[in-house]
Amino acid sequence: MHHARPHWLPGGASSAPQPSRRLSPPAVVFAAMLLVVWSGTKSVVAGEPRRLTSDGRIKFTPVFLDADSVAYVDFEKPELTVIKRLKLSDGVVTPLHAKADTQELEPAFFSGGDRCVFLRARGTLSVGMVIRDETSGKDIEVPPENGFCGFRCPTFSRDGKRVVFSYAAGGFQDLYSVNSADGKDRRKLTKNNGVNNWPDFSPDGKQIVFGSTRHGNFELYMMRADGSDVRRLTDNPFQDLRPRFSPDGRQIAFTSTRDGNHEIYVMQADGSRVRRITRHSERDDYAAWHPDGKRLAVISERNGSHDLYLLEINADTRSTAAQTTP
Amino acid sequence: MAMGLGGMEQTLAAETQRAKSVLFVFLWGAPSHLDTCDPKPDAPAEYRGPFCSINTRTPGVHFTELLPKLAQRSDKYTLIRSHKTTAPGHPDAGTVALTGFEEKPQPVQPNFGSIVSRHRGQSGYLPSFFSIARGTVMDGARRIEGYGGGTLGSAHDPFLVGASERGEVEIPALRLMDGLVPGRVNDRRALLKQLDIVPRTLENARLSEWHRAYQAAYDLLLDPRARNAFDLTRETATTRQRYGQSVFGQSALLARRLVEAHVPYIQLNYSRHVEAITPGFEFGWDTHIYNFDLLQDLHCPILDRAFSALLDDLDERGLLDDTLVVCMGEFGRTPKINARAARDHWPPCYFSMWSGAGITPGRVIGESDRLGEHPLSDPITPKMVGTTIAELAGINTQARAEMNVLDGGSVIEGLI
Repeated sequence: MHHARPHWLPGGASSAPQPSRRLSPPAVVFAAMLLVVWSGTKSVVAGEPRRLTSDGRIKFTPVFLDADSVAYVDFEKPELTVIKRLKLSDGVVTPLHAKADTQELEPAFFSGGDRCVFLRARGTLSVGMVIRDETSGKDIEVPPENGFCGFRCPTFSRDGKRVVFSYAAGGFQDLYSVNSADGKDRRKLTKNNGVNNWPDFSPDGKQIVFGSTRHGNFELYMMRADGSDVRRLTDNPFQDLRPRFSPDGRQIAFTSTRDGNHEIYVMQADGSRVRRITRHSERDDYAAWHPDGKRLAVISERNGSHDLYLLEINADTRSTAAQTTP
Repeated sequence: MAMGLGGMEQTLAAETQRAKSVLFVFLWGAPSHLDTCDPKPDAPAEYRGPFCSINTRTPGVHFTELLPKLAQRSDKYTLIRSHKTTAPGHPDAGTVALTGFEEKPQPVQPNFGSIVSRHRGQSGYLPSFFSIARGTVMDGARRIEGYGGGTLGSAHDPFLVGASERGEVEIPALRLMDGLVPGRVNDRRALLKQLDIVPRTLENARLSEWHRAYQAAYDLLLDPRARNAFDLTRETATTRQRYGQSVFGQSALLARRLVEAHVPYIQLNYSRHVEAITPGFEFGWDTHIYNFDLLQDLHCPILDRAFSALLDDLDERGLLDDTLVVCMGEFGRTPKINARAARDHWPPCYFSMWSGAGITPGRVIGESDRLGEHPLSDPITPKMVGTTIAELAGINTQARAEMNVLDGGSVIEGLI
């Protein structure tokens, strides 16, 4: 499916989408439906966000290890990305892997951080996947194929036995899984259909939410943990990215450009009741649920600098949202 | 379409130089044209990529959604969508992009900046050709041959200067001396003492080259006017924020300060290295893997913010009238998505943006075919890029002939 792609006014100001080309009558109906949907999108203030970092460097992919620790990737130098761990209680930031001397990216954790899976640059445009026992320091490295090649977005299954990741081959980028104990027994979960990315398990471990370009642009989908029963959750001409299940499994936080630039949204796990969380002319991205299910860590760009913020989410998510204007 | 020698060039030569400064923004590593300034939303899925097309301020012209600020400013520049080059690899294509000629046969031709440097000479307190990066631009461990003076000699190599994401300016020639940054050079004796120590740590073969570079750096840093030009802390917080807290953003701000200081030619490099994710290397535009991720998450947001700020800032300060700004990579990327769900090198078709120095903005020159594989109109070559830059900088046919550079070049007709 290929949408008649609307446009939005550039420059950061949110606006109602408008067509970039002359719309056909069905497209006019579609655009009108979109406007109706957007007019129903709730956006309310729910308190000041808490700024967790202040260095302003570019950052990616926060993820909570436990209620007091969040890890994220820090663009520490132009040639070095470092996984860091920040404690909410005292604000202290430390490198997760003190001896890392090459780019490390996209960490995910199991059992409060006892095990970590992450990506590590290993050669020219070659990115491997490392499953590390953080207690013993023992690594299982899953190498990519020879040549320019790399993994993306690894995550543990809820029982810790498998690691699901994204991997490109044959012109497509599919989701696969391997045994977390030895990096073997690779199984393909999606079927040669566009770029599939950002897998995240439901708390009960039975479902995986992910993004895919199988219908043109990035949309969000759900499937069973074995790759069956794929259902589409979003459907609009803009990018819907990086879905994350809430701790109770009832909601999904994600990033979307549907209102003009990258903003954070929350929807029910079936794709209904989309609520906009952030509202700012600069970028808000990479939502990660706090274990209490009441807060989200996000990376926000403000005045050209990128920092980690913690947003309060109302218990009654029918009136969720935060104003991110630090 | 090109105009032959003796035509438009002579007409322009009769005018005064339009560009007192040239600012060449080099997107080293080569961005995808389909994912940025030449989207093909109606192409098959294996070509078009996931990004939405958006309107620009120029009627009928679309960018992808990755460059919203530049789309909004399309009335400030002219877009060329019909570039074509010859070399398929970065070092060769980099040399062609910066000189207009292949690396072989030898000798290597001079960088466009070296031609301007030779023509203008050093009239002020600053060198006449700067290259902004955290070192010489590289492909892997290899320096591209077209980085400097070529047949005009090493005296016309660029002066290297870099900036951190926090706006701290550094001079690679002095990197061996820890803690020596422009703002701290107040004690001449202390500096001389440090400079005397450094040669002992260098190999003999590189000593001469380094000595020349550090001597230039040394002379420069003792001049308070030069230190002032490098001092980004003199900018307001609002201005620095406007460019973004990134190496490229603050480097673009440094470039604007060098324009204000009347430097004739500035090559502003997006990154020092081409490779996108490689140990020890900066993140360049060479996205054989992770193309769609990196463009959306890193490269395009940085470029969109910084280059837009640069155009606005130059315009607001009245500098755009006599500053030529050119932004381009060394080639395009494969319209057809590769096996790694990314894009490889594509010399037959790519884009550039031109602004200032009397260029009529808000237009599009050239057009690519429906898949973005080839120009539909006469292709624009790197030699035409160099010739047009030279012409706008006041270096006419005769002057070029006397330097024996850009032989056979023609200007890009629709641009001027």
